[in-house]
Amino acid sequence: MEKPKLIVDGKRLDGRGFEELRPIKIEAGVLKRADGSCYLEMGKNKIIAAVYGPREVHPRHLQDPSKAVIRYRYNMAPFSVEERKKPGPDRRSVEISKVSREALEPVIMKELFPRSGIDVFVEVLQADAGTRTACLNAASVALIDAGVAMRGMITAVAVAKVDGQLVLDPMKEEDNYGEADVPIAFLIRNGRIEAIALLQMDGRLTLEETRRAIELAKKGVMQIYKLQREAIMRKYMREGEDYEGSAEAAEVAKELSENEGGSEKEGGQSEQEVKE
Amino acid sequence: MRKIVMPGDLIARNPRAAGYGTYVEKGKVYAKFLGLLDKTDTCVRVIPLKGRYIPSPGDVVIGIVREVTANGWVVDIYSPYTAFLPVSEYPENALKNRKVNEVLDIGDAIIGKVLNIDPKMKVTLTMKDRVCKPVRVGRVVAINPARVPRVIGKKGSMIKLLKSELGIQIIVGQNGLIWLNGDRRKVSIAEEAIYIIEEEAHTEGLTDRITEFIKKKKGELENGEA
Amino acid sequence: MTDDILMDIKRDYVLSRIRAGERIDGRKFDEFRPISVQTGIIEKAEGSALVKLGNTQVVVGVKMQIGEPFPDTPDRGIIITNAELVPLASPTFEPGPPDENSIELARVVDRGIRESEAINLEKLCIEEGEQVWMVFIDIHALDDDGNLMDASAMAAIAALMNTVVPAERFEVGEDFPLPVQDLPISITSLVVDDKLLVDPCRDEMSVGSNLMTITSDREGRVVAMQKSGSYLLPEEKFYELLELSVAKAREIREAVESQIAKGGRNGEDEES
Repeated sequence: MEKPKLIVDGKRLDGRGFEELRPIKIEAGVLKRADGSCYLEMGKNKIIAAVYGPREVHPRHLQDPSKAVIRYRYNMAPFSVEERKKPGPDRRSVEISKVSREALEPVIMKELFPRSGIDVFVEVLQADAGTRTACLNAASVALIDAGVAMRGMITAVAVAKVDGQLVLDPMKEEDNYGEADVPIAFLIRNGRIEAIALLQMDGRLTLEETRRAIELAKKGVMQIYKLQREAIMRKYMREGEDYEGSAEAAEVAKELSENEGGSEKEGGQSEQEVKE
Repeated sequence: MRKIVMPGDLIARNPRAAGYGTYVEKGKVYAKFLGLLDKTDTCVRVIPLKGRYIPSPGDVVIGIVREVTANGWVVDIYSPYTAFLPVSEYPENALKNRKVNEVLDIGDAIIGKVLNIDPKMKVTLTMKDRVCKPVRVGRVVAINPARVPRVIGKKGSMIKLLKSELGIQIIVGQNGLIWLNGDRRKVSIAEEAIYIIEEEAHTEGLTDRITEFIKKKKGELENGEA
Repeated sequence: MTDDILMDIKRDYVLSRIRAGERIDGRKFDEFRPISVQTGIIEKAEGSALVKLGNTQVVVGVKMQIGEPFPDTPDRGIIITNAELVPLASPTFEPGPPDENSIELARVVDRGIRESEAINLEKLCIEEGEQVWMVFIDIHALDDDGNLMDASAMAAIAALMNTVVPAERFEVGEDFPLPVQDLPISITSLVVDDKLLVDPCRDEMSVGSNLMTITSDREGRVVAMQKSGSYLLPEEKFYELLELSVAKAREIREAVESQIAKGGRNGEDEES
């Protein structure tokens, strides 16, 4: 297949500038059963992430007595790509799951939940390059939505080199015919980039280009970070209304229960009656 | 209106003020999880909006017996951690030489209290408290544990309202399980009201609306009887 | 896993030495262990190499077959890289299908070879759209004393340089050496606090597996990178790693080349 021209008149095939992201849509809390969830679109990528836990880990030997065990499963739906993908994990998804989990592990406060497990399941419903970074963005929102304790937000994006030019957030054609692809995730805390959480690369870049790729990625993630926060805000905005905090509530609950315990003494008779 | 904070948000610069739901790094206080900011001059903390129930000593919880052993019961408390209720923490006079599984059997519900938690999160329950009892009557409903404070209301106002308006018994477990007992139809009204509170606690005039709701339902009941 | 307790016991010692600016085996922070490369050790394979990196030992065998090209590259040969972390090589390796570590190992080695275009795949086309050569690179760990990644990458490229395409056996012409046109070198470093330890040995890994692999080609261009391990990498550390790895790769490439030059078939074990 002929490699198409990827940059025409200083614009990319989809009309974007070099440092422009694809349109992004993020929605938090989209699944009923999961403890936390997120739906995310990035260009044609359609991603859904769910978080379960902290919960009990089975089988027991997988438990860690000192911290929570994090599991991350990146999975592509068979219909997510042009040619049907054979269902189940292939080598690529196993590797992506590993490095993605390793990006989240140092950010989740695992030591607060010994012996438990936190499962992050991410399904790619439609893929159009940059799925591993899109998935991490969704997973991060789902974790926050689940109320999991974390040091900050994980935000990820890819940078590619196409027709000799570094571009942000490559789409499929740029990924296929590009000269390099650098997926990268950062820990962002209080609006500041703190560290690199995931970094992979394949292709060919000079040292200088590699440095510039990181800088470009940093520009991209700050925009995504804002959208991740907005998605969570949208869901929880209404919850900002004042109400009694949990600490007082615990005491009040006990107090109220005491009364019930007392009245039950008298009602003890009726309990027996009901049983018999 | 309280501010919503997310993990990693800088919420104070005084480490001594760091309270629940925060962590300190290099002298700065950050939010640990998604929640509402509660900040005073001396203390800053985060009230969680979501999340599983993590046991804390003294909490009243409702659980279900999952396993019976020679020296006690394994109790599911709707948390990442199952709890253990040793026979020695069951009131002696209630044991009456009965076998362990005759006292409590698999599937039985209990109202217990968290006695202690070891560093590995082994949770021990006690039943030696006047609040505690096996649940043999009534109904248990489940809500998100983070929403328990809403159901209780300011200084217990919401629970008091439900109790006085419906004349039923209510015990709220900190783990999000709530025990209701009394007239079956009134328990149903309370259950429905609790779900409304869980969903809408953030809206204005909720107490009034719950009062309205209960009145309406009670009215329907009486009309139905007539 | 009886190995775990030893790792726990060693951790404090290793860490205190590192913090004192030393490595437990006396190496400098940017120093590799002795490298030995023997090629052509498996006669049945089209190409092979045994690499020793200190005590770490890896065999790579290259086998070739004729197959159909991928539809999107009808005029190019195919590379298939696989790694087996057999239980013989470490008390922590379990028998069974490849786990995430062996998959990652294979894929990172594969990327270095593929992206540096070390193999001229166009010369492996027999009949466009119909028949091309498939290059199977099989990584077989023998002894994991740390940094299997770099040892495997070295063994893979050495085995490829030693490979003869078995055209006669398949009756498609005369045998010819596999067209290898680059020599990618991967450099793996362990990040410990603010220190970077090149080519970590197993005992050093007791302090954690915070690794970064950066592969570069002859021109000093980066062709593959992989952050591996649950840790956060400060950005400035990454830039330090980048410089260090590309510079180090030049030096290691020379060492590997000189080893290959003298380590032909049945080459004796000549540790540097």
